[in-house]
Amino acid sequence: MDPYPVDNDQTIGRRRWLTSTAAGLQAAVLTDLFSKDIYGMETPQIRSIFDLKPQPTHHEPQAKSIIHLFMNGGPSQMDLFDPKPELDKRHGQPYFSELASEVENPTAAGALMKCPYKFSQHGESGQWVSDALPHTAEIVDELAMIKSMYTTNLTHEPALFKIHGGQELPGMPSIGAWVSYGLGTENQNLPAYVVLDDPLGLPVNQSQSWQSGFLPPVYQGTRFRSTGEPVLNLSRDFEQTDKVTSLEQELIAGLDRIHKSRRPRQLRLDARMASYELAARMQLEATDALDITKETQETLDMYGIGKDTTDSYGRRCLYARRLVERGVRYVQLYINFQIWDNHTGLTAGCKGACDRTDRPIAGLIRDLKQRGLLDSTLVVWGGEFGRLPIAQLPANKDTANAGRDHNKNAMITWMAGGGIKPGVSIGATDELGFAAVEDRISVADWHATILHQLGLHYEHLYFERNGLKDRLTSVEEAHLIKSILK
Amino acid sequence: MLFGSYHWQQIVLRLILFALLFTSLANTSNAQDQSLGLKASQILKAKCVKCHSSQNRKADLDLSSVDAILKGGESGEVIAANYEDSLLWEMISNQVMPPEDEPQLSKQELETLKEWLEQSTFKPLAKEHTSQWEVLPVLQLRCVVCHGKQVAEAGLDLRTRESILKGGKSGPAILPGNPTESLLLKKIHAGEMPPKRRIVEASIKVITPTEIKKLENWIAEGASNDMPVIDSLGIDPDPLVSDNDRDFWAFKVPVKSALPESIKVGWSQNSIDSFVLHGIEQAGLKHSPRANKEVLIRRVYFDLLGVPPTLEQLQRFLNDASPTAYEQLVERVLASPYYGERWGGLWLDLAGYSDSEGISESDPVRPSNYLYRDYVIRSFNADKPYSDFLQEQLAGDDLADYTDPEHVTQQIEDNLIATGFLRQPPDGSFANITGFVPDRNRYIGAAMEVYSSAVLGLTLKCAKCHSHKFDPIPQRDYYRLLAVFKGALDENAWMSPLKDQGVSALKPMRLLSVTETVKRKAIEANNDRVEAELVEIRKELSTVEVAAISKLQDAAINALPEQIRSDVKSALNEAEQKRSKVQQYLVEKFEKEIRFNIEEAQEADAEFKAKREQLIARIAAKDNEKQEVTPIRALWDRGDPSPTYILTRGDYLNPSRMVGPGVPSVLMDVRKEFSIRKPFENSPSTGRRLALAEWTIDKSNPLTARVMVNRIWKHHFQHGMVKTLDNFGLAGAQPSHPQLLDWLAVEFMESGWSIKHIHRLIMTSSTYQQSSSVSEQHELRDPQNKWLSRMPMRRMDAEMLRDSLITLAGVRWDKQFGPGDLAVSRSDGLITTLPVNHDVWRRSIYVLHRRTLMPTLLTSFDRPRMSPNCIERTESTVAPQALHLMNNKQVNSWAGQFAKQIIQETGNIREEQIRQSYLKALSRQPDEQELQLTLAYMQKIAEAAKQETPPEEINLQVLSNVCHALINSAAFIYID
Repeated sequence: MDPYPVDNDQTIGRRRWLTSTAAGLQAAVLTDLFSKDIYGMETPQIRSIFDLKPQPTHHEPQAKSIIHLFMNGGPSQMDLFDPKPELDKRHGQPYFSELASEVENPTAAGALMKCPYKFSQHGESGQWVSDALPHTAEIVDELAMIKSMYTTNLTHEPALFKIHGGQELPGMPSIGAWVSYGLGTENQNLPAYVVLDDPLGLPVNQSQSWQSGFLPPVYQGTRFRSTGEPVLNLSRDFEQTDKVTSLEQELIAGLDRIHKSRRPRQLRLDARMASYELAARMQLEATDALDITKETQETLDMYGIGKDTTDSYGRRCLYARRLVERGVRYVQLYINFQIWDNHTGLTAGCKGACDRTDRPIAGLIRDLKQRGLLDSTLVVWGGEFGRLPIAQLPANKDTANAGRDHNKNAMITWMAGGGIKPGVSIGATDELGFAAVEDRISVADWHATILHQLGLHYEHLYFERNGLKDRLTSVEEAHLIKSILK
Repeated sequence: MLFGSYHWQQIVLRLILFALLFTSLANTSNAQDQSLGLKASQILKAKCVKCHSSQNRKADLDLSSVDAILKGGESGEVIAANYEDSLLWEMISNQVMPPEDEPQLSKQELETLKEWLEQSTFKPLAKEHTSQWEVLPVLQLRCVVCHGKQVAEAGLDLRTRESILKGGKSGPAILPGNPTESLLLKKIHAGEMPPKRRIVEASIKVITPTEIKKLENWIAEGASNDMPVIDSLGIDPDPLVSDNDRDFWAFKVPVKSALPESIKVGWSQNSIDSFVLHGIEQAGLKHSPRANKEVLIRRVYFDLLGVPPTLEQLQRFLNDASPTAYEQLVERVLASPYYGERWGGLWLDLAGYSDSEGISESDPVRPSNYLYRDYVIRSFNADKPYSDFLQEQLAGDDLADYTDPEHVTQQIEDNLIATGFLRQPPDGSFANITGFVPDRNRYIGAAMEVYSSAVLGLTLKCAKCHSHKFDPIPQRDYYRLLAVFKGALDENAWMSPLKDQGVSALKPMRLLSVTETVKRKAIEANNDRVEAELVEIRKELSTVEVAAISKLQDAAINALPEQIRSDVKSALNEAEQKRSKVQQYLVEKFEKEIRFNIEEAQEADAEFKAKREQLIARIAAKDNEKQEVTPIRALWDRGDPSPTYILTRGDYLNPSRMVGPGVPSVLMDVRKEFSIRKPFENSPSTGRRLALAEWTIDKSNPLTARVMVNRIWKHHFQHGMVKTLDNFGLAGAQPSHPQLLDWLAVEFMESGWSIKHIHRLIMTSSTYQQSSSVSEQHELRDPQNKWLSRMPMRRMDAEMLRDSLITLAGVRWDKQFGPGDLAVSRSDGLITTLPVNHDVWRRSIYVLHRRTLMPTLLTSFDRPRMSPNCIERTESTVAPQALHLMNNKQVNSWAGQFAKQIIQETGNIREEQIRQSYLKALSRQPDEQELQLTLAYMQKIAEAAKQETPPEEINLQVLSNVCHALINSAAFIYID
């Protein structure tokens, strides 16, 4: 064997190049800033500049954008969308021994507990929704229910890492970062991946939920705040007149032009100047995106804006629509802390979480639909895990104030729009709702399906590091949730 | 999952007709099957057996005989009752096998194999025998946390057959041959064990019915005491790795080759240039001219220290006309104490250095982790031989006896601190709920990844679940390496990473309170002194208090009628039991008036109050003088680890055969053994990591030196000669200059593994001193600069940028070492570093590297998030970077401070100001065009600012804008 094959670029290097081209990643360097491929036939790993220019998809996309309604805390499947008559029947019977190792707080475990709300069928599709979600019930014909999802960890932090980044560890890129990396974005004046967090506070894991991990930071989620400056550092946070600022900007541009003229053919200097121009444009566009003063009262009402309970989440839902309209690729909505984590006081707590989000979400779906945006926008609803069929008792053992503990074996999510079949459901849990038993959907399946709708193949979307092709789904095999796709 | 739930040891399948393949046909009745079997056999032989034979068992799979096929491979069984469920069919039907560069199966052949798999009859056979090595892992997983090494509740240790038979307080845990009467099973069946309400505390899961069945079988069969079959690294030919595999360039020991001859003479300064020039000439290019002195000094300072030179440093070099001025500059900068802060920082990326555990929302801080960071900085400054540096980090605990507190030297303490290298990955096991066996395994995997990616430049991670796809690294080798770490990282005897969280008898803390003997004695002496002084102050306090109270008491008594004063006084002073009736009466009657407490005394006497407060403050201050030994975040081998099993498909519930400690077989040279010995007398350690360290730094190791010189090269030239810094394997990039790489690697080892020697060689080469201008020829013939016919232009990294900003602002505090400086998060998410000592900042390496609180300025400029480490940073150029530098208050205020200094140094003449700021920020004068443009804009800004700014501030305002523009300019952030 020749120790240093001369033709190495034509062997493995070439093969890798071809694969990466197929994945559409190599094209990232072929931005319109550059007249040609300055990096030549190389592995994608040595791509020197990362940006958000639109990238070719792996296949025809069903959706251009995604709105991810993240329900932090773990919504209870059997109290919202998955009725369990057997649970009603067996209410009060002991069951702890059957699932002991699946309980986070064994000392607080109680007996089987029925759903405190009433279920009925809605819409033409006849999907079951509990009366805790009256508005969602009205749009249920648009939704595809995934009743048989499961995850791999029953603790918030690892489960959040898993649902956002595909693995139970910190430091992995979130799905939004992967999508921005894979697709870039259509509007260069706004970030590709926007996070709308709750002014009341950050969720558990905080900004780690939208980080770019080992991907370049350009792909991390950008927080848009509801009040004040929408984006970090968007405008100067020191005193200076606009006139002086623009003079200084001219000086920078002038100096950079001289610098560049002395250094011909250094293409990175063009990218650098472009980033300053883009920064200036972003200042205008981001402010405009969150300006809802021109929305009609009817629209505001649809989202519940102006009503105490729904105002905050309603605004974020409306911002989401406005961002998607402007070509933002991935919009992720959060609620403060973890309102769905109803360990105790489920009856009131879970209803409270419903009340804050139900009308805004129904409004969002209706508004997207009436504007013709639902077809090109994938809307995804869900948390990090589900909840147990047994009660979790408060310290005083008062069953009236019981809640439910975490459950990794069953959770419920739904999708709508963006190539999703409306009014269908897939999978089933066991008779008590403890575990997904029919058509089990893993987090990897769920991720792969979301990527698929956006035109990305989960296996071809990778980033090389530590000598490996790292993917959102890691080394897991994933299957598309085909039965909910159009 | 088609196959994962099967375990090849659990279900033994017998393929009846399959036997026809290779054995006599005489016993068969069906001629059709015979011919089908023969055909299948021929196909397998032609297309599969080349790699899957008894000699060459790729993926540990042998397809050359019936028994071998039935045994399966590292992924378990390859055939199943239903052909669609068989792994063999899955692999061939999906065209995963044969590999794409091997002859493929034709449609016809596939059809034949399918038919054969379909028509063959499979019949499960009952297992004859349950080995103790199938049962012991179950007990490890479910029981030994309370009945094992760290704790033996009820006196019971369930780790070995022997200790199980011995049993605990209630007698033997099992009765061989009698499962129903075996205490162990009784407890399990009764649901008492493992106790359900304690499983979270112990971070275990309940035992499964399959596992119980296994236990029952073993006991029923008489609890066999079969010897383990351990697959250890031996000297016999390895069926999984061939000599051909070892023939790959990176797996062979590097040797120095003769220097190539070049056409051009007089350019080469040293051997590096000979190799590089040869490449340049071969590519039909010319080398670039030498860069000017201003460019060179900036390049040298940023490369070695990460900050620009001061004016004095700049002038000294520019004015030095000696022919060796440049070489002397390199020497001076290499000797700087801040060199370690730059290059140590690069190493910390490889280690994945983090000052917090991550995983949990609370992201708890690792209080003593900075000791490791400081060790790294000091090691780089001292140019510690890389071999020693590695040995200490991989096996510092095995290098010398640290257990005798009377004989701990600085070196011994450093040895332990150095092992922090393997303590950097996220570790959630301080909480029960994030400390289960899979969590622990993930940590172990991450630590191994740090080692393999940083030190060996190899990816081993893939081999956790299956043999490596590209490299000749069988799954077995991954678990052999895992066994090396097991003495310290044993998922069955885990430890909590923090001092004050999650520590219990079940999970002792993984910190060592060991410190240099003289340091410890000094601490003790100090504390004794402090305690003695405290006694004195407390005594004084007590005296003052007694005096103040007596004073009040005396006054109160004096207010009583004179005739009873002395009686009352003596009654009060008498002990309570001894008081006479009269005395009791007196006390009762007057107590309220004459008894006083401290508060009353303080109210009455301001002087006393002040004095008392002063004394209390002195006590608190004194108390603060007490010192304590900072527990080291070390990794140490505790010996007696649980056995290591290969995990089928990486699943911890699916252990297959046992392996012994070892290193990847493909990297083993016949001349060198992987020899394990007791590190020192009375050492508890297995000595395995010591063996690993010695193997790693042995000169016959083909990777260690190559990977490191390639990395040093990368940080000087933007790219490594092997561009995939983390992958020297078959899927990695080929070296651009293979002979040079090997020459440097050997030179590195011959120099005594001196990193500074390599810097010196590189930086004094003509190659390094070239200009970075890109000519048309360059662009045409070598756009990627593969041949180094010019220097690459580089962007500052995150730390260089921030450190340069605080340098220019004159607010950089050069205090080295110690706990990290805090960062805080603003409500909008901006994370900033807090100034220390009011208004100065330390360099970025001293910022507390908390996973959830990394300063925005650093992360925006590509400071990585560690997962678990970072081998090579990415570089992005995006708008948020511009927004931060343009709009951030802190950056603006640093620009203002920069301007203020310039005015102090040069006065109010604008041209002088501009020249001075260019010298400081860019290490050069502005050219005429830059000067004129800047002057013109200063005039415009002065005009514009006139309305809002008072005249005396205009000058500063204008210059601040210039300085702000300068640090926003490309000339600043790019290094020629």
